[in-house]
Amino acid sequence: MKIQELKKEYDGKTVVDSVSFEIHKGKVTALIGPNGAGKSTVMSMISRLIAKDEGLIELEEKSLENWKSRELSKHLAILTQSNHIQMKLTVKELVAFGRFPHTGGRLTPKDREIIDQAIDYMELKEFEDRFLDELSGGQRQRAYIAMVIAQDTQYVLLDEPTNNLDIYHATNMMKMVRKLSDELGKTVILVLHEINYASFYSDYICAFKNGKIAKYGTVKDVIQKEVLSEIYQVDFEIMEIEGKPLCIYY
Amino acid sequence: MGSAVHKANKRKLFIMLLLVAAAAAAYLTVDVSFSNERLFRYAMKIRIPKLIVMLITAFAIGGASIVFQSIINNTIVTPCLLGMNSLYTLIHTAVVFVAGSGSFLVVNANVSFAVDLTLMGIAAMVIYSYLFKKTKNNILYVLLIGTVLTSFFGSIQSTLIRVMDPNEYDSLLATLVASFSNVNSEIILFSLVLLGIIIFWLRRELALLDVLTLGRDQAINLGVDYDRAIRKLLLGVALCIAVATAMVGPISFLGLIIANLSRQLMRTYRHSQLILGSALFGMIVLVGGQMIVEQVFVYAVPVSVFITVGGGIYFLYLLLRRGGVRQ
Repeated sequence: MKIQELKKEYDGKTVVDSVSFEIHKGKVTALIGPNGAGKSTVMSMISRLIAKDEGLIELEEKSLENWKSRELSKHLAILTQSNHIQMKLTVKELVAFGRFPHTGGRLTPKDREIIDQAIDYMELKEFEDRFLDELSGGQRQRAYIAMVIAQDTQYVLLDEPTNNLDIYHATNMMKMVRKLSDELGKTVILVLHEINYASFYSDYICAFKNGKIAKYGTVKDVIQKEVLSEIYQVDFEIMEIEGKPLCIYY
Repeated sequence: MGSAVHKANKRKLFIMLLLVAAAAAAYLTVDVSFSNERLFRYAMKIRIPKLIVMLITAFAIGGASIVFQSIINNTIVTPCLLGMNSLYTLIHTAVVFVAGSGSFLVVNANVSFAVDLTLMGIAAMVIYSYLFKKTKNNILYVLLIGTVLTSFFGSIQSTLIRVMDPNEYDSLLATLVASFSNVNSEIILFSLVLLGIIIFWLRRELALLDVLTLGRDQAINLGVDYDRAIRKLLLGVALCIAVATAMVGPISFLGLIIANLSRQLMRTYRHSQLILGSALFGMIVLVGGQMIVEQVFVYAVPVSVFITVGGGIYFLYLLLRRGGVRQ
């Protein structure tokens, strides 16, 4: 996936400015940066949730506008933060929606198999017949991830998946992200606030500041004292644990 | 699991269908003399069109309310609460005011209805799309602005009536204050055809309703052309409300009651069942209610009064039960 000279303005204020980078297929890429740096906006444009003002987004060498929305939804899935449903929907029913791009409303036996696998994968078997509004935040989040897995796309985009989760669930979420890439070969792009999750669980990091890319590269390239201090305007110390950089900020 | 609920709901719908049939049969036959053929025919001539109008109205309001709730992803608003039927009344008054009651646009009930529908479609699309976009579907704002719009449309309409020529007003009143005791049966055929066309035109979007319920982001993620689908559905809702209002006048809380009863009874997200349930509930409430009004209260209290009182209390209950309006 290639992104070139991406630009977005709100009320004359430029929130994303000439952003260009390339996503490595099959790898986990984390977008980090301070609030308002434009990372979520970039994410929304990549996933066609909001329109871009200028620039080019290419998926599989085809510009995003030239994809049919239905066709694109078989290749790219996005999970945003705002998911509140007022309808009575069980976990299994929600996960089944992931098959919608492939088969419309009618589920084939193969779809059912995929749905069951996705539910098992997220360890939701015991909740599968519960209504979403009866679940805890972490369980609901996992149900949505299961839906994305059932959608079975090469590209999986997650906007702050660890938001509202406690340490246990957040860490499990990140392990799941890792598995998506390592075991299922998916390309995962996610927005993260917690730098150490990005450092420990992703392959590449793209750091944003003021709507521009401040630094893009492998984890080791980006998780550097000077780079991070410059981006976040606080002091950083970098330690190493299990061969991975760990940030301490104060 | 889902399919068990699905089957149970089918049974519930079937029972409701039987109830509707029973209510309809009772409505037609209670207190009718079968021995005197002329009296019997006379009674049927009055009751059959009324019954048809009630069934159409229930279907239009029931369906439109469920669809509207799903569009806006909230179950305590209905198109009528946001002033759609006041808008229709205003448009109808404005057409008579501008064209004059003698104009060919007004004299023929069907032509007049077609003019109203066109204007309603345009006005509702402009006003409500803008409202949704500006408030970003924040339900508190939508509800607040909707309430303001309701009285705003009402005030303009009453102003128009006040400055109108009294003769014009007289003829307007006949078509304006349609009610269950005085249904507008001239437009039955037109309405049926129109509803048929709307359903056919929206067949794809109606099938998408289950997905649209997941919200804008998820719907787009699953490959739905969200904005277009919403626009088309909103237009369909506006026209359904116009049909209902033209036939029996404004009944604000009916949609709220039957849509929520249907949701409570079915506990499903499947719109095919929700819409059908809501429509059938509407038919039971209207036909049953009208029968009680005619036979027990001898027309002293119109059925819309019961619906408004009952609906108002139910609305408060819904609000309080959820512990306020969340979004």
